[in-house]
Amino acid sequence: MFDDIAFWVSYLTNGKHLTWYASFQFTIIAALLGGALAVIFGLTGATLKNSRFWPLRMIGTVYSAIVRGVPDVLFFLFFPLAFEQGVEWFVASQVCTPEMIAAQSAPWPPCKEANWFLGTPEYLILASVSLGLVYGAFATNVIHGAMRSVPAGQLEAARAYGMSESQVLWRVHIRQMWVYALPGLSNVWMLIIKATSLLSLLQIADIVLWADRLGAPNFLPTVGLVHDDWRWRYYLVLFVFYILVTWLSERAFDAITRRVGRGILSEAHG
Amino acid sequence: MQAFFDDLALMAPAVMFNISFAAASIPLGFVLAVFLALGKASSNPIINRLSRGYIYAFRGSPLFIQFFMFYSLALSLNVTVWKPMGWSGFVLHPLFMGPFVLVLNTAAYTAEIFYGALRAVPRGAIEAARAYGMSRSQQFRRVIWPNLIRLAWPAYTNEVVFLFHATAIVYFALPVIGGQRELMSTAQNLFETDYNAFLHFPVAALYFLAVSLVIFFIFGLIYQRLMRHLPSPPRLRYIPKWLR
Repeated sequence: MFDDIAFWVSYLTNGKHLTWYASFQFTIIAALLGGALAVIFGLTGATLKNSRFWPLRMIGTVYSAIVRGVPDVLFFLFFPLAFEQGVEWFVASQVCTPEMIAAQSAPWPPCKEANWFLGTPEYLILASVSLGLVYGAFATNVIHGAMRSVPAGQLEAARAYGMSESQVLWRVHIRQMWVYALPGLSNVWMLIIKATSLLSLLQIADIVLWADRLGAPNFLPTVGLVHDDWRWRYYLVLFVFYILVTWLSERAFDAITRRVGRGILSEAHG
Repeated sequence: MQAFFDDLALMAPAVMFNISFAAASIPLGFVLAVFLALGKASSNPIINRLSRGYIYAFRGSPLFIQFFMFYSLALSLNVTVWKPMGWSGFVLHPLFMGPFVLVLNTAAYTAEIFYGALRAVPRGAIEAARAYGMSRSQQFRRVIWPNLIRLAWPAYTNEVVFLFHATAIVYFALPVIGGQRELMSTAQNLFETDYNAFLHFPVAALYFLAVSLVIFFIFGLIYQRLMRHLPSPPRLRYIPKWLR
């Protein structure tokens, strides 16, 4: 009994497990940064979509529409790779000489000097930006709809008080928009949380990758077989972890919705 | 330009994998979802709890993890269960495992849509059916179901497109057997040979976009057929309001 507890304590606190616990930070950072960027891109997209200038309006409309026809994984993989190659292409156009290009045997980059090595922090930022871009398109639709749900009388009243257009926008329109946008934004946030499970596709040693490594049959010469294939147990832990995060987010969004909806007469809050 | 057409040709067999994954899981998921939605609305506490829990768990966790979890579970049962029965080649094959997990996943999302629609069925219609002396199964077949499916159809269309997009991660979680690859895995594979991200991924995106538009079109036609009793049938919008 006591030996069992001692075994589990030492097993769950060995170096690999501690690394696994530490790797939760990548998931959390990607979710928070991606969520914040999604709101920013969403606000930008909604502004573009509302623009009076035709080309800008088209950009906003296409941005919010295209992501719905294409899977999020594709953008998630494509954007970091494309960004990396874009930078390398630019560097190559500055530093590469014909001799360097002739010496290069690999198809990319054009010359070895233009190679840009990306580590975990760089990939994490790129992954967050692509999460923001993809789910920003969803947020664009949500915010665009919410902006139109704000009662026209509120804006008229603000104008009647002599507020300038930007004052009306920031003090009344966007302030009141959140109440209508929150249910949709909570949906987008849930999608972002679930998309953070894909970080391992971008060479980030995240919780999924570590679960796979830790669960694989573990053989030590001194001890023998520590455990056979335990991967499903580790994935079950992640499964429960994501359900818990979803549950917590739901509670948090309920609380925020109630707080933001104070003093506003509408059916948007319960 | 030639490279573009080469890519189109290379990915044509790959898109068939996406389509068959989706086509295999949509009907099964639909049937399972109807039962789950009825279970969630059921007054029997056990059935109600189980359906609620199932829907919550599968909507609250990433499909990517679900793939890994079920695949590794099947792997760990291999020696004791599948192998003696001679099933390991079948159960562990991505062509079975992929649709299997997709069915479990889409059933939960679809059940939530159907449950929402079930609650939105006009109470008066059900009361009228009861007043006519219809039995419970008659009520369901004649009154609740026709109302439910009409209410749920736009959101269900969206879910089907999402499911189609979700087939993109099948081979990121499951092993590739015999060079069978779907679009995303093909694009990734091609990218690793010549590092041309700007060609392969957009071509894959084009295929996804094309099939998504076809799905929207077909489901829009079905929606018009469902709504043919209305004087001016509402059109299914290309950009549905619902989020997954």
